[in-house]
Amino acid sequence: MPKVTLINPDDSRIELDVEVGDSIMRAATAAGIEGIVGDCGGGMSCATCHVVVLDDGYLAKTPEMSPTEDQMLDFTAMEREPNSRLSCQLVMSEEMDGMVVRVADPQL
Amino acid sequence: MTPSSTMTAPPALDIDPFTPENLCAPEAVQEAIRETAPVVYLNRYEMYAVGRYDLVQTALSDYARFTSAGGIGMSDIRKPGAWRTPSPIAEIDPPEHRDVRKTLQKVLSPIVIRQWREDFTRVAEAQADAIIGSGSVEAMKDIVEPFILKVFPDALGIDMPRDAFPLIGEMNFNQIGPNNELTRKSIEAAGPHLENYEQYFSRESMVKGGFGEKIYAAEDEGGFPAGTAGVQVRSFLRAGTDTTIAGIGHTLYRLAQNPEQWAKLKENPAKAKAAFDEAIRLDSPSQLIHRTTVADMEVEGLALKGDVKVGCFIGAANLDPRKFPDPTAYDIDRGSTGVHLALGAGSHICIGQNIARLEAEILLQALVSRLSRIELDGEATYRPINTLRTLERLPLRLVA
Repeated sequence: MPKVTLINPDDSRIELDVEVGDSIMRAATAAGIEGIVGDCGGGMSCATCHVVVLDDGYLAKTPEMSPTEDQMLDFTAMEREPNSRLSCQLVMSEEMDGMVVRVADPQL
Repeated sequence: MTPSSTMTAPPALDIDPFTPENLCAPEAVQEAIRETAPVVYLNRYEMYAVGRYDLVQTALSDYARFTSAGGIGMSDIRKPGAWRTPSPIAEIDPPEHRDVRKTLQKVLSPIVIRQWREDFTRVAEAQADAIIGSGSVEAMKDIVEPFILKVFPDALGIDMPRDAFPLIGEMNFNQIGPNNELTRKSIEAAGPHLENYEQYFSRESMVKGGFGEKIYAAEDEGGFPAGTAGVQVRSFLRAGTDTTIAGIGHTLYRLAQNPEQWAKLKENPAKAKAAFDEAIRLDSPSQLIHRTTVADMEVEGLALKGDVKVGCFIGAANLDPRKFPDPTAYDIDRGSTGVHLALGAGSHICIGQNIARLEAEILLQALVSRLSRIELDGEATYRPINTLRTLERLPLRLVA
């Protein structure tokens, strides 16, 4: 199963198995990772699963950003960065195996 | 795809979803709409109805085929005899909808909502402290309504008499359905409060520092078409008051009926939001929202005519066994958040859902931290309202 590494606000790292077709938000909340809130369950209505993809090469392998995600990223609690994404929209593929993301802080 | 001449029309049903009996116990109507065919035709109301999960989701979100511009109610607001102007947020389609939604989203960003947590918590804890020793309560009137009617209008910065809320809410949710006896009576009952109604949403009436004031400021900055800020505030208040009261009521009812689920919540209060989402899946406060077909079309082999209302039976879809195994079981670990359709789907998905969850979470946690359990203390009853599923009475025994 492909893996993603999450870097928490306290710099601790968590390696997470994410099934292909599952979102990083779903996998992270199921694993009880506190930094990913994901209040709305993936409806792009809350902007509380904000992450920053560390490597541009990996960013290119992620699903394309929709206008709604782009819009929601303007309202995140931590200010948006160039590689910001909502992790509910990062649906896992084999290509994304090994990706590292920083968990935004705060989410709320 | 346009329908071919050999295609059949959706089967017609004679049932009336809007009798007081069917509204208070909607399961038979929900099942008839959902299980007869992917799309059915309601003879009495001359409109289509969908009740399967995938089709309700499609009709709610595919604006190219199912427009919101005809209004979210049963009557087409573009036609002679329509009784109101369109909501400047809920009754427009993308792309126009996008800019309006963006402006509203900005006013509702997580940063703004976060600031409300402290206020909401203070109110919930004071209320919980006050009722904890009372033993038996009627939870709707004693707990849920007073909480929401305090924190929500305060956060919005609206100063409307609290006794007007339930009457106006009942009227609004009746009006989304047919113009029947329930609708006529509720308009009459709300009558005395309607005289000053528009005034509560005027610029001068907005409380300093509230959400309403920010909406007016956003209009001044060009974020909304001129003259629509007041209607935005009103739309928001309408959409978020009765639905949230209903949803928290359903949650308490389910937790009282399912002590093992209460126990899970007590052990891990972080599950409060999940408890709320699963309850609004089972009893969706907003049961019915409409779209209008934009043209003749084919849907799952059935021929639909253009310019006809489509009733999206959200409550039926959320009990669809094709989507939810053992659909009538209340399980706060089901993971229904983001899957159920109680908050809508697509570009019009409930914009205030974070506030609803925040309110639910705070009130549930105030109760679960003070009580060992809650028990039903008599029969719970529903209010017959055309498109809102909400409890009239919820008698509970609070066990310290």
